[in-house]
Amino acid sequence: MFEKVLIANRGEIAVRIIRACKEMNIRTVAVYSKVDMDSMHVQMADEAICVGPGPSAESYLKIDRIICAAEISDVDAIHPGYGFLSENPHFADICENCNIRFIGPSSHAMNALEDKAASRALARKAGVQTPPGSEGAVENEQEALAVAKRIGYPIMIKAIAGGGGRGMRAAHNDGSLVKGYHTARSEAEKSFGKSGVYIEKFIENSHHIEFQIFGDGKGNYIHMGERDCSIQRRNQKLVEETPSPLLENKFKDLRKKMGKAAIRIAEEAQYTNAGTVEFLVDEDGRYYFLEVNKRIQVEHAITEEVTGLDLVKMQIAIAMGEPLRLKQGDIHMRGHAIECRINAENPFDDFRPSPGRVAMYYAPGGRGVRVDSHVYAGYTIPPTYDSMIGKLVAHGKDRREAMDIMSRALSEYMITGITTTIPFEQAILQDPNFRRGTYSTTFLEQLLGGARRELLEENA
Amino acid sequence: MELKDIKAIIDLMRKNNLSEFELERQDYKIKLKRANGGPQPATEEPGYYPLVPAQAAPAPLPAPAAALAPAPVAAPTPSLEIESPMIGTFYRAPSPDAQCYVEVGSEVHPETIVCLIEAMKVMNEIKAEVKGVVTHVLVENAKPVEFGQPLFRIRPA
Repeated sequence: MFEKVLIANRGEIAVRIIRACKEMNIRTVAVYSKVDMDSMHVQMADEAICVGPGPSAESYLKIDRIICAAEISDVDAIHPGYGFLSENPHFADICENCNIRFIGPSSHAMNALEDKAASRALARKAGVQTPPGSEGAVENEQEALAVAKRIGYPIMIKAIAGGGGRGMRAAHNDGSLVKGYHTARSEAEKSFGKSGVYIEKFIENSHHIEFQIFGDGKGNYIHMGERDCSIQRRNQKLVEETPSPLLENKFKDLRKKMGKAAIRIAEEAQYTNAGTVEFLVDEDGRYYFLEVNKRIQVEHAITEEVTGLDLVKMQIAIAMGEPLRLKQGDIHMRGHAIECRINAENPFDDFRPSPGRVAMYYAPGGRGVRVDSHVYAGYTIPPTYDSMIGKLVAHGKDRREAMDIMSRALSEYMITGITTTIPFEQAILQDPNFRRGTYSTTFLEQLLGGARRELLEENA
Repeated sequence: MELKDIKAIIDLMRKNNLSEFELERQDYKIKLKRANGGPQPATEEPGYYPLVPAQAAPAPLPAPAAALAPAPVAAPTPSLEIESPMIGTFYRAPSPDAQCYVEVGSEVHPETIVCLIEAMKVMNEIKAEVKGVVTHVLVENAKPVEFGQPLFRIRPA
């Protein structure tokens, strides 16, 4: 049993983890940067330790300081949240060496899935199809052109060390491929420290469908159904829902098949704790493995609503050495849940970040509404971190009701002093394609007229 | 009420060392409060609508190592603080039976070692990095310290 846990994160996920710990009677230690002194997670935790100045590289990412903080507060375990150090095998190793449990996958599992090349190879070994493409890294532009010729345009150039929608660019012809190849390599070097890139077929009108998985390190694996995250802007998710309208309306048998594929991947990687297997599904119902997210995710909340399970508590239980108490047959999905990520951005000004002081804050309530946020009236959102200020989740008995509840909740939400994406999300909820559930990953860009812009840039 | 009137009141307050001033008229009310080191900007409250109501900010739970450096209370002479550059356990002496590195009244130079901070079983010597005299020791021996926590107050030379 853990007596004390340190949360190596901030914002809404730190609040989420602290809440789970409190319910399990586990004492909590928050770490914070100087800029986050007034942040909600610092107020909520039993203890709080400053780990550096604002910039993440000098605070939340400082492994030595996080470990020192864990030492002086004498914690049993560290929960890394998402982002930051959550998928850093080096950090997981150091925790174990210092006798501190890392609440997440083992470093073995992390290494098995350490980058896109390793993950793709592992998926193929598990008998799961990946998008056609290069075997591994593409070493020069001749090779790139050869791969593109083999699989056919359009293609995607992706950074091997990338992930989470970053480090990817499309190419529609030889000209844009050559140009894109070199740009992608230097961007990868700058963003991820490794310039390796690989090439994959661009699956047009794809649907991003991911499966929540759990492994307990004792040979038990389960999946908790899918989440449809096709509503993305520049490869960043904005609205997510479960079950996927595509699977419900068109390909009902895919859930079982994809669920099994996700489990096979988890088994191959000997995955422990919570994770998400991401797939792309095309309009003909073919699914392709994309990557594994080796952490708890932002959108875990919608899975919690439909399954009635607390995923963060499950993470903590597994880290404490408990076996999974649920079998696949015990997982049932009830109703429909939708999540909108509330970002401090101005949707009318190309989503420019809008940090600043929140003057008035009223979060929606009522039946079927869940708000996961660290914001309060009087809180100043710093410009130093990402712009997500909260998640709004609606759960109804079916998709129709979930949409009605979400629209109602969005209109009830009051945040003044900063600009948010709320009006944009209201527009999404009213869009006929969204309402019919007939949307793919092109939905948002089309809504914003982006598709046209991208093609213009390609041919420029 | 015009800006020049407000400025005159502020001047009066400073000259007579007043900390608070409140004036209510038929159609306005003005309240001025001096914080350490100078007057606050005036808030003019028309009689017919209230100030933005106090927000429901949660009161901070007591944290054993708050990073807020206490502002000097009307200190007549300037003072500096040596802040902790790391997280660990603070020790005033090189070993349990040795003399403390510094005491109140000790003179320090930039290279003077003022304390040890133990992190991950490694003893780190912390240098003053300023020149002056120690006026306060702000942390007890063998207590944990966090990043940015004030350790000593120094009167600069």
